[in-house]
Amino acid sequence: MHSKYTGFKLRRLAVSGISFTFKLFMLVLFLFPFYWMIVTSFKTYGGSIVFPPTLLPHTFTLEAFEQVFTRLNLWNYLKNSVIVTVAVIVIQTLIGVPAAYAFSRYSFKGRGIMLALVMAAFMVPTQITFITVYIMMSKLRWLNTLLPQIVPFGASAYGIFLLRQAFMQVPTDIIEAARLDNAGEIKIMTRIMLPAAKSSLMTVTLFSFVGSWNSYFWPLVMSNAEKVRPLTLAIERLKDQDAGINWPVIMAGNMIMVLPVLLIFLLMSNKIISSMGYRGIK
Amino acid sequence: MAKIEFLDVHKSFGSAKVIENLNLTLEDGKFNVLVGPSGCGKTTLLRMIAGIGPATKGQILLDGEDVSNIPPGKRGVAMVFQSYAIYPMMTVRQNIEFGLKNNRVPKAERERRISEVSQVVGLAPYLGRKPSQLSGGQRQRVALARAMVKEPKVFLMDEPLSNLDAKLRGAMRSELVQLHKQLKTTFVYVTHDQVEAMAMGDCIILMDQGKIMQQSDPETMYRDPNNIFAAQFIGTPPTNIVEIGSENFKLGFRPETIILSANAGPDRAFTRRVKIMTREMLGAETFYKLCLEDGQEAMARLTNSSLAEGDTLYLQVDEDNLYFFDAKGNRVRKTGSQHYDAMVERVKRSHES
Repeated sequence: MHSKYTGFKLRRLAVSGISFTFKLFMLVLFLFPFYWMIVTSFKTYGGSIVFPPTLLPHTFTLEAFEQVFTRLNLWNYLKNSVIVTVAVIVIQTLIGVPAAYAFSRYSFKGRGIMLALVMAAFMVPTQITFITVYIMMSKLRWLNTLLPQIVPFGASAYGIFLLRQAFMQVPTDIIEAARLDNAGEIKIMTRIMLPAAKSSLMTVTLFSFVGSWNSYFWPLVMSNAEKVRPLTLAIERLKDQDAGINWPVIMAGNMIMVLPVLLIFLLMSNKIISSMGYRGIK
Repeated sequence: MAKIEFLDVHKSFGSAKVIENLNLTLEDGKFNVLVGPSGCGKTTLLRMIAGIGPATKGQILLDGEDVSNIPPGKRGVAMVFQSYAIYPMMTVRQNIEFGLKNNRVPKAERERRISEVSQVVGLAPYLGRKPSQLSGGQRQRVALARAMVKEPKVFLMDEPLSNLDAKLRGAMRSELVQLHKQLKTTFVYVTHDQVEAMAMGDCIILMDQGKIMQQSDPETMYRDPNNIFAAQFIGTPPTNIVEIGSENFKLGFRPETIILSANAGPDRAFTRRVKIMTREMLGAETFYKLCLEDGQEAMARLTNSSLAEGDTLYLQVDEDNLYFFDAKGNRVRKTGSQHYDAMVERVKRSHES
């Protein structure tokens, strides 16, 4: 049957075909590096430098992972990374949530200026501040501790801003109803505001986590002893071996590095996407 | 149970003065209705009682005690919001329980009250649900249950029925009246709907532009208005107001008191020749828009639907059904005014001239 709508059907088919191809292309573009990292980490050194490269390892081996653990005191670096990341997230939440609540719900003298300062802090890159901060840390004699990696990140401008936006979506009536229910400000914050801003809070936490976990430049500048360095710097050290770059070992190190981030992202992806969509609560 | 008093209350938002020098007493145990057009200050008064929008100046007394410095949660009042304002992330039970927990009511007592209240409002099967899984009417009940469970001295309601459909609104209206009869607590109910006010209130407080125009029971409000505003706000269609030649007073009469006939009876106080402009047949009654000879208009509300557009008839109103208002719009009553009889006389003669 030749209907007068054939042209429309063909066009729609073509559009969905192009759309699918494009999505597939993007998927490959983003996933291939991950795939390559995983595959290489299970290859032997020889297998990693053959030409042409193979998509799958000839001989599957865990040798690279063993080497990572024997070459480095990995547990020490892992411990540093975990302490720094957890401390940063906890402090950021303790400071950011009340700050965002105050910015969103109270009118007080200087609120506009203070919010503008927060936004300004949001825009200043760390490369501008690191020398002054380094001098400050040195004067405080904190350089051989983890504090320089934690304290400067105690307040996140981005987090305060995002949470403020989420809190502003909570209808005033609900807060007033809670006040009539004899709820104090802390209770309103924890029982009313935070559950309403759950997905934004998760996004903020995730970004803090990734930022802190992957942080390379800042700890490199702020530490001069191995005992306070995080995992990112350790992985870097796998590179400077005399026998040239051992790709499987570096990739194994990266696997260890990236795994927690990937896991958390997979578990939380729904929340993150919904928070990015600025869904209101009605 | 509480009497509520406003003493010299002022409220301004920035430079805009919403309420000035207001004095008002709401009697204990009554179903008080604050009614008026939007922006008249009725919700502002309600928020003052609740403590979530304090007065700029003046005192609010609950049972003789100044509550101006008592936080909202400790005043013994409960409020039902127009938007219901139920906590979206809590279940129905948690919503109802939240206030009790904050007031440290013991667990056994909480359980008892929750099951009792949820029976009364018909929420018992839904205690485990989230608000998003409830219909509009059920959410309204959650808001009501949350207020009832606190066993407050005063119930505050801010247009609680305005988000419901017409049928449900009618049903909830009588349920609320019933609830008030059971609880015998002071209710303060805000609405812009005069029908709701008349149907529900023991005591109506009619407001306009931050001032109280009249405070009385519904019957008096309808039969004996204090001013043109009250006469026109209550009743559908509103009271007709006409001017009599160059007199310095105005005459009012309700559309339902008009007598339309082909021949003018001799003993009626107010008579005019009128022409029917439009006719709206509403079933039991028919509204007619009338044009007086001098160009003024009036509405009539009659059970007689047989009159037609273009008919020319006599409009008549008995003396008992006439309201006289002075130039400022305030009522001039038979008792207390020596000019009253003269005014009636002038109205009678105005037709003959």
